[in-house]
Amino acid sequence: MQFLSRNLFFVVTLVAALFATGCARESGEHLVVTGSSTIAPLATVLAERFEATHPGVKIDVQAGGSARGVADVRQGLANIGMVSRALKADEGDLLADTIARDGIAIIVHRDNPVAALTREQIIAIYTGQVRDWKAVGGADAPITVVNKAEGRSTLELFLSHFKLEAPAIRADVVIGDNQQGIKTVAGNPQAIGYVSIGTAEYEASRGTPIRLLPLGGVEASTAAVAAGRFPLSRPLNLVHRSELSGIARDFIAFARSAEVNDLVTGQYFVPPAVR
Amino acid sequence: MRIDALDRATRSDRLHGRWMGLFAMLTLLVPLLLIGELLVDGLPALGADFLLRAPTDAGLGGGIGSVLVSTLWVLAVCQGVVLPLGLGCALFLVEHVRAGSRLERALQLTLDILGGVPSIVFGLFGNRFFAVELGLGFSILSGGLTLACMVLPLFIRAAEQSLRLCPDRYRSAAAALALSRWGFVRRILLPTAAPGIALGVVLASGRALAETAVLLFTAGYVTRWPGSWFDSGRTLAVHIYDLAMNVSGGSTNAAASALVLLVLAIGIQALAVALGRISRGASA
Repeated sequence: MQFLSRNLFFVVTLVAALFATGCARESGEHLVVTGSSTIAPLATVLAERFEATHPGVKIDVQAGGSARGVADVRQGLANIGMVSRALKADEGDLLADTIARDGIAIIVHRDNPVAALTREQIIAIYTGQVRDWKAVGGADAPITVVNKAEGRSTLELFLSHFKLEAPAIRADVVIGDNQQGIKTVAGNPQAIGYVSIGTAEYEASRGTPIRLLPLGGVEASTAAVAAGRFPLSRPLNLVHRSELSGIARDFIAFARSAEVNDLVTGQYFVPPAVR
Repeated sequence: MRIDALDRATRSDRLHGRWMGLFAMLTLLVPLLLIGELLVDGLPALGADFLLRAPTDAGLGGGIGSVLVSTLWVLAVCQGVVLPLGLGCALFLVEHVRAGSRLERALQLTLDILGGVPSIVFGLFGNRFFAVELGLGFSILSGGLTLACMVLPLFIRAAEQSLRLCPDRYRSAAAALALSRWGFVRRILLPTAAPGIALGVVLASGRALAETAVLLFTAGYVTRWPGSWFDSGRTLAVHIYDLAMNVSGGSTNAAASALVLLVLAIGIQALAVALGRISRGASA
């Protein structure tokens, strides 16, 4: 304890000194990017690669939700905001650049004879009103409903697209990530689930016994998502107040360029069609 | 008393004991299951490389080296503020404030209210006050100071309780020997209360380590190696949350990081117990 009392003075002085220097922090090549926690992991890897080719540049990515991305850019707390939806009508003061699209595919087992489901049928299955494949033109077997765990962005997108509330869903299996969802459906011919479209397409092409169901007459493919035709998808945007200059402009151009396609697909998103 | 009544009593006692034992075993099962699950999920990813490298590919690759360093920095800032402030406040409460006085009641009420505030409120406050108004931005300093505000009441309570445990006859003896008040505090009160204060540090660190939302708002999300206290740094709990929730395929690394967090928490506990024992030994 003597040790403590002797060092107390130093600790207090140190903290005071740090406060004092805090006001004089340099603001050179430093970008702050805040917003959607869906985009944050992608922005982090983009920033990592950008920093590697631009020595001296620091890009700090902060997660906290799309709403915060918008608010921080407006208040000038962030140079760039991350917003995982299209901008709303009252956000006309901001400019958005789409760096990727996030799409969800409804998947069933490959041997399931059901070719397509309507919006109403999917809602009925997920709310427990339809419990048998026979009711939607399939085999006489019960449906295993696979849902995502609470808090997942895929769940949010799914719910908002079908205008469902989380407690209304009657799920038999709750899964965490995409791989787990694909494994569950591939191992159960009666299961229906939804996963990131990039993962589903990749797994189906590798021979995993799953099938992607079309939605609203549009086939579920990354190409359809990239073109913005697939209904169950959303843009992942970087937003900013006015025309940018310098490092911020370079970073957005870099994030939209074809040289980062591997990073976008690596996070199970779809690169936008126009590059 | 009749013999068979006595016999029945001991039999029911024995039965009672067995039931209690069963419940005790069930309680033991909880940590076993928890650690078992984490070991199965996370152990394959754990290695020296995992502990020493910074995360790459949004946490799917690399390790948690930089995250671990940020966590320790945040914790150090937090304890560096909490220990002097909290100990001072606890000493003031015990030594200088008359029990039952208006000041004492006001202080206790403030501590109770502060202790009951949900952590997310501290997160919003810290973001607003430290990060924006004081201009510290998303930084290790913002995170540590916000955490300090949050765990301060917890620490003061623990310290106060252990200070009050000091027997009155020690006080009388010190007075009889004409020891000054500060001398009594420094040489007798603090050493005897040291184990309890150490426990307060453990409790405060435990809460600080567990915090996610607060730190996401203040210390931030950046996984780079922290260069100074003004750099944003992601802590372990935030890293685990992000891997489990926002990164596809991140569950293995999330479990491995959780194992490290668990070891860290146990390590701090062991350290505090050892420190408490040493300081008690020194005073004896």
